[in-house]
Amino acid sequence: MNYRALNPEDIQVFSEAISTFFERMTQRPARVRTAYMLDRPETILWNDFNGVIQVSGGFRGAISFSAPQGLLTEVLAAMGETEQSLENVLDVAGEIANILSGRARRHFGEALDIATPISCVREGAVIPNLAAGPAYAIPHTWGPYEAHLVVHLDLVQRR
Amino acid sequence: MEPGKLMSKLLIVDDSSIIRNHIARLMANSRLPRIDIVGLAGDGRKAVEMAKTARPDYITMDLTMPHMDGEACIGEIAQLLPDARILVVSALSDKATALRAISRGAHGFVHKPFSDETMIQSLLELMS
Repeated sequence: MNYRALNPEDIQVFSEAISTFFERMTQRPARVRTAYMLDRPETILWNDFNGVIQVSGGFRGAISFSAPQGLLTEVLAAMGETEQSLENVLDVAGEIANILSGRARRHFGEALDIATPISCVREGAVIPNLAAGPAYAIPHTWGPYEAHLVVHLDLVQRR
Repeated sequence: MEPGKLMSKLLIVDDSSIIRNHIARLMANSRLPRIDIVGLAGDGRKAVEMAKTARPDYITMDLTMPHMDGEACIGEIAQLLPDARILVVSALSDKATALRAISRGAHGFVHKPFSDETMIQSLLELMS
């Protein structure tokens, strides 16, 4: 099967999803910084908490959102949540993954087979990834914190 | 609320506890009519059980949930409580998903992530 690499519009869909989450749920927008290409083939979970979606079918790869605990704790506070447990911090990461999943489905269509979004704490771990094309990291700053969206996805070649 | 009128009942269904709590807080702090939150369910199966006993007038319903997803849950609750009005609150924002949910018995759709104002307005419309 032929695959094509992501284009900037594909990546922007996910970046906008993250921005919209911060703007609507916390009333404090995140700042999107310049995307860059990662030089290793795996999808790396590189921060305290991670929300991940993996896709298959006519598509292949993974999309992840990695954030430090301080950022997610402040998101909870901004939402009015007083219970700042590990479970709730993970829930924020999972909810962001859920939103990435919804945006992916809307942008790429029902042909995208998306596994249930997961949230995890495995800093430094690597997600097995079938995508052959490059992975892109898009840093987002929110207050003093920096989080990363990593998009590593191959798309079916459109003829 | 009019004297003698029973308070309306709301069931909140979402597998995310922070979203369940967030909607509950909005209900408490907004211009919405006073409403009794009769349950917070984290999956579709639990929501059906709660609906049987609490008999809510209004329901906010996530779609992607463990055990029983939102679409199946809407179908069961629509049969159980035909007068209950269901607002889908989901990150799945494509048209086909919305149409399927409405064909099962949902009355409205809010896309995640939602602003406070959007959620309050959608609940007001659901209750009008």
